[in-house]
Amino acid sequence: MAQVTFLDAIKQAMFEEMERDPTVVLIGEDVGVYGGAFKTSEGLLAKFGWERVIDTPISESAIVGAACGMSYLGLRPIAEMQFIDFIVCAFNQITNFVAKGHYLWDAPAPIVIRGPAGGGVHGGPFHSANPEMYFVHTPGLKVIYPSTPYDAKGLLKSAIRDNNPVLFFEHKFLYRRIKEEIPEDDYVVPIGKAAVRREGKHLTIVSYAAMMHTSLEAAEELAKQGIEAEVIDLRTLAPLDSDAIVESVKKTNRCLVVHEDTKTGGIAGEIAAILCERAFGHLDGPLVRVTALDTPVPYAPTLEEYFLPNKEKVVHAAKELARY
Amino acid sequence: MKKALTRQQHLDLYYYMRLNRAVEDMMVKLFRQNKIVGGLYSSLGQEAVSVGTAFALEKRDWLAPMIRNIGALLVKGVPPRDVFMQHMAKYESPTKGKDGTSHFGDLENLHIVSPISMLGDLIPVMTGVAMAGRYLGHKIVAMTWIGDGGSSTGVFHEGLNFAATQKAPFVLVLENNLWAYSTPVRRQVPIENLADRAKAYGVKSFVVDGNDVAAVYATAKEAVELARAGEGPILIEAKTFRRMGHAQHDPAEYVPAEMKKYWEERDPIARHEKFLFKEKLLDEKGKKEIEREISALLEKERDFAENSPMPPAEFAEHGVYCTGDDCHKIRAKWERPVAEVTPPKSSVPAVWTVAGFGRGKGSGGGSAPIHFGDTEKHEQKEEVVAANNGAKGTAKKSAQPAKKPAVVAARKAKR
Amino acid sequence: MAADVVMPQMGESIFEGTITKWLKKPGDKIERDEPLFEISTDKVDAEIPSPSAGVLKEIKVGEGQTVPINTVVAVIDAAGSAAAAPAPAPVSVPAKTEAPKAAPAAAAPAPAPKPTIVPPPAAQPAVMAPAASTAKEGTRVHSSPLVRRMAKEHGIDLTTVPGTGSGGRISKQDIEAVISGGASAPAAYEAPAPAAPARTAPPPPVAPAPVAGGGGPAGHGTQYIPSLQLGVPRERLYFGNYEVEPLSTMRMKIAEHMVASKHVSPHVYSVDEIDMTKIATLRAKSKDEFEKSYGTKLTFMPFFVKAVVAGLRAYPTLNASLDGTNVVRHKEINIGIAVALDWGLIVPVVKSADEKNILGIQRTMNDLAERARSKKLRPEEVQEGTFSITNPGVFGGLFGLPVISQPNVGILGLGAIEKRPVVINDSIAIRSMCYVTLSYDHRVVDGAVAHQFLHKVKETLENWSEPLV
Repeated sequence: MAQVTFLDAIKQAMFEEMERDPTVVLIGEDVGVYGGAFKTSEGLLAKFGWERVIDTPISESAIVGAACGMSYLGLRPIAEMQFIDFIVCAFNQITNFVAKGHYLWDAPAPIVIRGPAGGGVHGGPFHSANPEMYFVHTPGLKVIYPSTPYDAKGLLKSAIRDNNPVLFFEHKFLYRRIKEEIPEDDYVVPIGKAAVRREGKHLTIVSYAAMMHTSLEAAEELAKQGIEAEVIDLRTLAPLDSDAIVESVKKTNRCLVVHEDTKTGGIAGEIAAILCERAFGHLDGPLVRVTALDTPVPYAPTLEEYFLPNKEKVVHAAKELARY
Repeated sequence: MKKALTRQQHLDLYYYMRLNRAVEDMMVKLFRQNKIVGGLYSSLGQEAVSVGTAFALEKRDWLAPMIRNIGALLVKGVPPRDVFMQHMAKYESPTKGKDGTSHFGDLENLHIVSPISMLGDLIPVMTGVAMAGRYLGHKIVAMTWIGDGGSSTGVFHEGLNFAATQKAPFVLVLENNLWAYSTPVRRQVPIENLADRAKAYGVKSFVVDGNDVAAVYATAKEAVELARAGEGPILIEAKTFRRMGHAQHDPAEYVPAEMKKYWEERDPIARHEKFLFKEKLLDEKGKKEIEREISALLEKERDFAENSPMPPAEFAEHGVYCTGDDCHKIRAKWERPVAEVTPPKSSVPAVWTVAGFGRGKGSGGGSAPIHFGDTEKHEQKEEVVAANNGAKGTAKKSAQPAKKPAVVAARKAKR
Repeated sequence: MAADVVMPQMGESIFEGTITKWLKKPGDKIERDEPLFEISTDKVDAEIPSPSAGVLKEIKVGEGQTVPINTVVAVIDAAGSAAAAPAPAPVSVPAKTEAPKAAPAAAAPAPAPKPTIVPPPAAQPAVMAPAASTAKEGTRVHSSPLVRRMAKEHGIDLTTVPGTGSGGRISKQDIEAVISGGASAPAAYEAPAPAAPARTAPPPPVAPAPVAGGGGPAGHGTQYIPSLQLGVPRERLYFGNYEVEPLSTMRMKIAEHMVASKHVSPHVYSVDEIDMTKIATLRAKSKDEFEKSYGTKLTFMPFFVKAVVAGLRAYPTLNASLDGTNVVRHKEINIGIAVALDWGLIVPVVKSADEKNILGIQRTMNDLAERARSKKLRPEEVQEGTFSITNPGVFGGLFGLPVISQPNVGILGLGAIEKRPVVINDSIAIRSMCYVTLSYDHRVVDGAVAHQFLHKVKETLENWSEPLV
């Protein structure tokens, strides 16, 4: 097994799926000759040709709309948003055409909309977005946000094979920073299942994407102080694996959610409500969240650092919760 | 290149227009009897556009109607009962009551894509349909409609521009019925002929009298043939008039009475009927026969619709996700060798070829010649586009002035 | 069979319509779709066709009347008509989302289908009801949903469980300790559980619920109610041999009050020395006759009480209470006198001590002390004190540093009265001396006032001239 970066795992998934299934095509800006703004599609055009790797004008609505139309004839297009920040330029197509098709008129759109998301890279307010909740909030869409190369490849494959529209967010901070050995044979990771990254008994930390790694680092720090945190990686935000969260909190009785999304409207609020509905009698402490500020993503590194969650903030919150 | 219509074609056009109007008349009654819930939209006076354009399509072609294109749905083969049940939110309607009006589709058999209420979104979607058809080797054309009002949306522009860069086999029928709700077309756009915009998109266009069904048909037929041959997309502007309000609740008092009268006198059905009678293609007896046929059909269809049950309340929870193997039944039908799009046959050099400037980095060392245009041989505009997009369009060998470089696919500046 | 004719909804925002004209009258025959009546709405006027064929039986809404949409405006007798078909009842929930292909189930005649509003989805599973709080009325037992549930399941009274969690709340560890009968509790993260002591295992701690400290009126919302917190991990108390005795209610009350008083009032102590010789002489001279005449022993206490009264009159700041940002200056002078009991301590109050003479004070004090020892004091007799005096000196020792009895701002502690050599006019004399300590609340009373007060007390006692009665 080879050590593969997060980015290369995504590239491998696209290569393998396009090889395996001639109905899979890639459509987006600069995906062909350039190989994608982050080189996630480098080499695809050379292998699969102009009809399957389509460079488009700057028209997110048209990219998503055309992908949707293609899917009606049985194709499985992957629509790339150059930065996930630009996905909201196609908001209407996604939420009104793509998401509602199956519910309203039995026409699921098996498309994948993917792109680089998240901050911590000095990208500023328009290249660091975490807009996942707009789409988690929309019935009919699946939203995936993996944190490891293994998961990225397996979940992207699942997404391409899924008959529903799937939004696949790739945290750009992780693209080249994390590597993992992944198997070379075909494998998929199921959509809608969280993963327990670390077992513990004093509290449960729920997280996803880049913050998952921050949470693990915090858990190591907490362990030195005698606090054993259980860390759950959501991987899929919609449909949410609330069973896994509930099961863990029934064991540890305390829950802390860490996400890079803003506080208000972030998934931590959803999780808190779900725990109140399903595990109220098991709570031995308040539901705590460590999130980004309720502001746009600032540009200056000092501002962005203050804006984002980090290991220290997670450790501090976890200690307070463990001692409640 | 307008071929003359056969008698049967003329009669069919007449039949479908009359059926269109009769279906809508009946729906007005159902609406006033509270059997149709929500809103009801009318295409009174515009039947020729829906019927004439749809009639130019073949069975294998795809269409996506807008609100006022029930005539197109009837031509495509949707039974009137489905139209009634959709409006009445019945459980046996195509959407089982989940949506109303013309918001339904049929991907597998009739090749109909459902619209949404937002205007213009069908344009990129039908562009995608056209592109997929081409990719799979189907010789299909995709058609949809847009109003003068709908042409102001951003997605109209994105969609048509994208279709043009792709040379998609796509026909866009722009129904200029002079009113977008209460806004006259003068306030929607600053130009007289919306078809003039085609030039800006680099596509062919036609302008046609939307109340002359034979002309509409002939124009649409030519457009469809051009698109099918790879000359698309095509924009057809049909000039017509919306005789009712925006919907049943809108009495349209903002429309001058004289304007209504002017267009009433140009009613498409009356016009065609007059033509048929004049050319002796139809007589009074034949007309009554058609009327009886339509009336009997609609009685039957309406009864069926009225007797259909409403959906059960709990059904609201079903269908958010497509789960299970039997929910996504569409399978790609290959009508060209799959090998063409799989390696190794699909392999290409991933380089931009720019007329007069050779090939870009990554091409293996080819540096740009200093002289413009005379060292690289091909550099025709169509071939550049074809090479870059893989379209199977016919490359016209029109001469290009040596000095002008062809369209450059510039590296987009970092946003 | 009758068919209802309803007021239609002519647009999404329309909710009512007015009948402008009936085109038929009762008894008229009508065809389906034949115009039946005309209406007017906010947006549009329309002619309404009949929904069925038959005979117009009854008009329910007349011309000019406005009714909400879906109101039945007329009834048609559709007997013998083949065209009219009643709408069928809705189908039951299908297992799959496939549309039923068969004809709809036969149903009883139903009125024309009206726009139905889908009822809201089934309620979410009910939140688990919290375990009933068994705390005494007026007190809160802080715990958590988990703890309450566990308490309910095991039938444990949460008021009997001490809390070591944040703010003194009962945490999961605390209740688990109770449930497991005190055997080594699940490891808290702070330190590993110690092995049980060799001899007897520590008993489960059982304590009465924390209650408001006695001696003062019921508190404001901000009254501090501390828990019986440990200053070290609990394991450290249990080693070697030991015996465990639960606290009495009075002891609990005292503990609560003491902790509260020290927490709330910054105590400062001023000590002075009083020459009691004059009073000692007076007392020695009068006590027998006093006892014979009035049937009650004469002690030093009434003298101190009178002296304190004089001091409080001169320095009324010490006769006050603090309520947030307000100083409540009491007009009465009610002196609380601490009484030591075998089982504890109580402070009965001599009300309006400034209106009593030595006899009155002595009598009142004796009566209160006797009834204190026989547990016959009434609640009002231990309330409404404005200043306190305590006499630790009766047990020996030089002087004490007493704790203020809330909500007072001062307490005078009396040392033993002993003969000591003192310097007077540069020569040594033997005098009966008494150390006194004033503990005062520095939020309200400053050192200057405290010392002046003490001086006044001293002066009054050293220059006693009042008659005893």
